[in-house]
Amino acid sequence: MGRVARGDHAAFEEVYDQVAGQVYGLVLRVLRNPAQSEEVAQDVLVEVWRSAARYDPSKGSARAWVMTVAHRRAVDRVRSAQAAATREERVARLDVRRPFDEVADSVERTLDVERLRRCLNGLTELQRESVTFAYYEGYTYREVAELLKVPLATVKTRMRDGLIRMRDCLGVER
Amino acid sequence: MTGAGGYDPHRLAGAYALDAMDDDLERLRFEEHLRTCDECAQEVRGLTETAARLGQAVAAEPPPGMRAAVLAEIGQVRQLPPTVGVPPGGRRLSRRGGAAWWPRVTAGLAAAGVAASVALGAVAVRTQDELERVRADDRGVVAVLAAPDARTVSATAGRGATGTAVVSRSQGRLVFVSSGLAALPPSQTYQLWRIAPGAIRSAGLLRPDDSGRVPPVIVDTAGVEQVGVTVEPAGGSAQPTTRPMLLLDLTSA
Ligand SMILES: [Zn+2]
Repeated sequence: MGRVARGDHAAFEEVYDQVAGQVYGLVLRVLRNPAQSEEVAQDVLVEVWRSAARYDPSKGSARAWVMTVAHRRAVDRVRSAQAAATREERVARLDVRRPFDEVADSVERTLDVERLRRCLNGLTELQRESVTFAYYEGYTYREVAELLKVPLATVKTRMRDGLIRMRDCLGVER
Repeated sequence: MTGAGGYDPHRLAGAYALDAMDDDLERLRFEEHLRTCDECAQEVRGLTETAARLGQAVAAEPPPGMRAAVLAEIGQVRQLPPTVGVPPGGRRLSRRGGAAWWPRVTAGLAAAGVAASVALGAVAVRTQDELERVRADDRGVVAVLAAPDARTVSATAGRGATGTAVVSRSQGRLVFVSSGLAALPPSQTYQLWRIAPGAIRSAGLLRPDDSGRVPPVIVDTAGVEQVGVTVEPAGGSAQPTTRPMLLLDLTSA
């Protein structure tokens, strides 16, 4: 990333090849619309080039940084595209859906994904739903609370302890 | 429909790492908190890394033309220097707690309508109309959000409209933001009111952007017990002419 920050196009191509599929996949998962997702993923990758100098390795891996930019952009797009009415409709529509199953069934069963699946299965149902609805659907905790009919404070707490459990299960460095 | 909430920042790292805060003020306040709380900053680091794993798991083959398009585009995009957004000597915004590192800091500020002037440390007080409105004095917004006694009050109305006030008694001010406000015909406007016993005074007109958000408005809290939003004829009214669609009770904050 240091070389990218200094304007090295070849270094950027290497980064691109490592992250483009993950960026596009995540954006697509949140937005569902391939054309929009391509546009947003493209913006994200250009942003990585543009802001590479701001990436600070002491704050986390380059991959996490890129994925953070991607998730943020996807979620911003989802939220801005939605008038209040559409959001309500969305919450209602999703009542029966369980994003985790959908994810687990649609991705390639690589070892990493199997591990993620196992770790997600280790969460309580409420933790798992809080984490996956927020991350994969772009829901705010308020929307998750409404959807799952639980208090706001509970959702905030489940998001935190659910992610902490995931972190420990996946062996993510702290 | 009005709820007062104690603010416990230490439990927000999960929602933050998942981009699940729907309240820009809360996010800004948490980012303020991250600068001074090493524990939360470290937790956010680990949880962000964990969230990224969830993202990696859903990787998909990008469309064939994307690589060429991105590589062509970066040839025309100027890269940012490492210190952009940080005023000379402005170390406070640059490192501690990773404020400059997090892409969402700027995204969050922009979303909250605070604009880049906060990051640049610029103070801009804009008055608007003849209505005594003090609008988004950026530094003032941050001061209220970061005040140790800041409390959040919010209310919702049908159709997803939300009003949130962060009240700081020590600052004598509150910051009001709203989202989910439906577009109004040109003949109407949203107006914010300071409601004190026996006296209701305008706190300015609210102009939602395309996504229904209103930029932060600073309101003097002296004597004020409630703030409310009404729909008024274009240009605003001297006194409210309709029932408030949002009413926030500050006495519990
Ligand atoms: Zn903390």
